[in-house]
Amino acid sequence: MEQYLVAFITGLTTGGLSCLAVQGGLLASSLAHQIEQDILEAGTQKGKRVAHPKTALPIALFLLSKLVAYTILGFLLGLLGSVLTLNSTVRAILLIGIGIFMVGNALRMFNVHPIFRIFAIESPKFITRYIRRAANGKGGSQTRPHRDWFTPIFLGALTVLIPCGVTQAMMAVALATGSPLQGAALMFAFVLGTSPVFFLVAYLTTRIGARLEKWFMRFVAVVVLVLGLVSVNSGLNLVGSPLALANWFRPAETAQPALASSPLPQSDGVTLYLSAENDGYYPQVLNAKSGTAVTLNVVTNRTFSCARDFVIPALGVEELLPETGTVTIPIPAQPAGTVMRFTCSMGMYTGEIVFDQ
Amino acid sequence: MVKKVFRVNDMHCPNCAMRVESIEDDLPGIKQVSASYRKGQMVVEFDESKVDDAAIIAAVKKAGYLAEAA
Repeated sequence: MEQYLVAFITGLTTGGLSCLAVQGGLLASSLAHQIEQDILEAGTQKGKRVAHPKTALPIALFLLSKLVAYTILGFLLGLLGSVLTLNSTVRAILLIGIGIFMVGNALRMFNVHPIFRIFAIESPKFITRYIRRAANGKGGSQTRPHRDWFTPIFLGALTVLIPCGVTQAMMAVALATGSPLQGAALMFAFVLGTSPVFFLVAYLTTRIGARLEKWFMRFVAVVVLVLGLVSVNSGLNLVGSPLALANWFRPAETAQPALASSPLPQSDGVTLYLSAENDGYYPQVLNAKSGTAVTLNVVTNRTFSCARDFVIPALGVEELLPETGTVTIPIPAQPAGTVMRFTCSMGMYTGEIVFDQ
Repeated sequence: MVKKVFRVNDMHCPNCAMRVESIEDDLPGIKQVSASYRKGQMVVEFDESKVDDAAIIAAVKKAGYLAEAA
């Protein structure tokens, strides 16, 4: 019982915000449909003003669908007891794909060009017909405004494909239970814990935005656009692409002063030390000797963020670091001038090793 | 029964297509309406002896959109 309580509290604290950073875009896309609809209704029914977009229901549906999807995933993880986590390349492709989808949707909402309508998710006709008739009680387009239930449910379930670092850690625990029921209960408790933060942030955001009414559509579009770009950038980080934003600004050659908040042993070019902290990796640039094998020691000290899930795309290394401890990663000899990038599993925190000595 | 395409350019999101399709519940003589936000059009299958283009366009207008025969 204790482990479920821990899972719930983890979700309530670190999980909620971490997952919101990764999956917030899908929730925003889901809400965008509802807000578009409500603003449209306000426009067509003259004299009637919508006090605020009716977003509570789609948020609830999104979270409920997410809860169900993750509970099923926990069940499968426990049942199979085998590694089901997606590797970093597949996740990178997913993140970039989802990012492009979101950017496309934002451009569609800005009405840039009809071509961007291809990014709109259109529910299957048999479902829309069913929902329409259910919502109308039988027929008549004016009897009751319909609600789009499919989109938030579908997108909520999709979050199962883009778990954040904390969620992945919890998935590993579910895997280790070796029991379908325990795995399901664990994921249920965790995702339930993340839900209040999701709901609160999403609902308050939409309430504030409702005051802006017609400008709010553009506000949502901007949010979706930014989150889409963040998602693409995370995907680029995850495959170690030099196109990722962080690599445009990071000084590549100069060794940075030790920025780690906890004291680390001095790196000597062959034995390197990297601190994985809750807000990223320090130092962000490590200098190493070329032409010789080096050892990277990644040190954690009460690290709970997704920095724990450490990835070196070029080497195919993916390590789930302990909350506190040191993991040693051997790196084979590299030619001079090599820049080896590392990142967390969601591409949020990054850094690089420069072989220049 | 005939199948006819109408342009509905002012659909705003996928939900609008669902709303446009609701005219099939309103008008006798319409067998099926398939609206697409992406294409900005709807395909209506209807009985010409019971309903005509003008009635269909009027029903779409009542739902809040402007339709015209393609």
